[in-house]
Amino acid sequence: MCEYAIEVENLSICYKTLQKMSIKQSFLKGMRRKADEFEAVKNISFKVEKGEILGIVGKNGSGKSTMLRAIAGIFSPNKGTIDLHGNSISLLAIGVGFQAELSGRENILLSGMLLGFSEKEIRARMDEIIEFSELGKFIESPVRTYSSGMYSKLAFSITAILETDIILIDEVLSVGDSRFKKKSYAKMKELITDKNRTVVIVSHDAKTVANLCTKVLWINDGEFVQMGPTAEVLAEYEKFMA
Amino acid sequence: MLKRFFTDLKKYFHYSVIAAKSQLKAEVAGSYLNWIWWVLDPVCFMLIYTFIFGYVFKSNEQYFPVYIFIGLSMWEFFNKTVQGSVKMIKANKSIVSKIYFPKYILLLTRCWVNGFKMLISFSIVVAMMIVFQVPITWNVLYAIPIVITLFVFTFGCSCFLMHYGVYINDLANVITIATRMLFYITGIFYNLETRIKGYGTFLNRYNPVAFLLSSMRKSVIYSSTPDLLFLAIWFVVGVLIAIFGIRKIYKEENSYVKAI
Repeated sequence: MCEYAIEVENLSICYKTLQKMSIKQSFLKGMRRKADEFEAVKNISFKVEKGEILGIVGKNGSGKSTMLRAIAGIFSPNKGTIDLHGNSISLLAIGVGFQAELSGRENILLSGMLLGFSEKEIRARMDEIIEFSELGKFIESPVRTYSSGMYSKLAFSITAILETDIILIDEVLSVGDSRFKKKSYAKMKELITDKNRTVVIVSHDAKTVANLCTKVLWINDGEFVQMGPTAEVLAEYEKFMA
Repeated sequence: MLKRFFTDLKKYFHYSVIAAKSQLKAEVAGSYLNWIWWVLDPVCFMLIYTFIFGYVFKSNEQYFPVYIFIGLSMWEFFNKTVQGSVKMIKANKSIVSKIYFPKYILLLTRCWVNGFKMLISFSIVVAMMIVFQVPITWNVLYAIPIVITLFVFTFGCSCFLMHYGVYINDLANVITIATRMLFYITGIFYNLETRIKGYGTFLNRYNPVAFLLSSMRKSVIYSSTPDLLFLAIWFVVGVLIAIFGIRKIYKEENSYVKAI
């Protein structure tokens, strides 16, 4: 039973503010950059078992999204390690990366390939994705013409249909209109309850976390506060936030 | 590092080709003349330069329109790729901040896009050569290593520019000026060796773009062998720049998101 899908150890992530500069500045200051460092995640360790649904809670700016991006491999940690044991991973976030000039169909193909699927696999599930996204004929128009709701519907559909071993979800549960919301919620539940899939959900909304997660990690200002069964941690968290 | 490069290349090669195709499609999707622009664009510039430098400044190169067209096609490839690379990360922010992939794949995609346009230009060159009845010898085959060298060299330079473009805001302005200067000392519409006494030969060898341009003309329209030693040297230099560029990107790419 104790097979871990994600192991995070002593993770620290710094942001350097004031990193961008003009040529004039870089000449004046030479190569030594004086950057203000801001530590968004401080020395956090945790393990997620395979098939588990972990919720990460914390107030705004507490480093939840940063940590999620680090797990997805977009950031490199400044200290510590993240071990995914070779599982494929995808990050589901509001307005996932699309190329605005290209059509929805092409974006499905491109995003899918970036997620590590072959062209054949994606083409095989293309219709399913398009159907789920409910975009209809808009799938052929450039993504820049989409409304924000359509945008996130498409993003959600791609990750939902092309299943990866680990899914990271960043506040995405409120996608589209109320009908699509219900549908995506159902799909999400279906995805999540798959025994082989590991899910990490970031949210500051305690209700969604309570409904979906089996375990909760609470971080505050980048520091580990508590990790344990959902009800226990959430009770503490709500007391703290009140 | 090289091993990682090849596994990554294998993994993402197909992606870069598909992305390039989609970008080409998207580029012309909104215009009336569609893909005809890929032909029309270089032809129009060729006509302008032929008129100005052939008639107004009385240039007397043999097969002058073909001469200009070859220069222009190769220059456009280099210029567009290099200029685009500076803002590459910022332009692709939406993908860069959502998923991990080796960032030079973006450059590779750009190279395919511009390379495809160069290919179209080259097919026009072939057509023009038939019209002007340019004699052809086996020397034409040198065009292949020349194009490969241009590709590798351009890619290498772009790697570094993409990297520094993330951190230095006004690099784009500098590059615009630098490429404009390079444009004039590359001899796209005149012969460096006969027009600039003294420095011309020097520039023709040590300015890689000029060297590749004139080698191409030599092999394709003047039936002679290019300077093979220098071609080999520039190829090796190009490969080295590319290797160091890729290494730089591997080392730093994970912090790009934090800067944009």
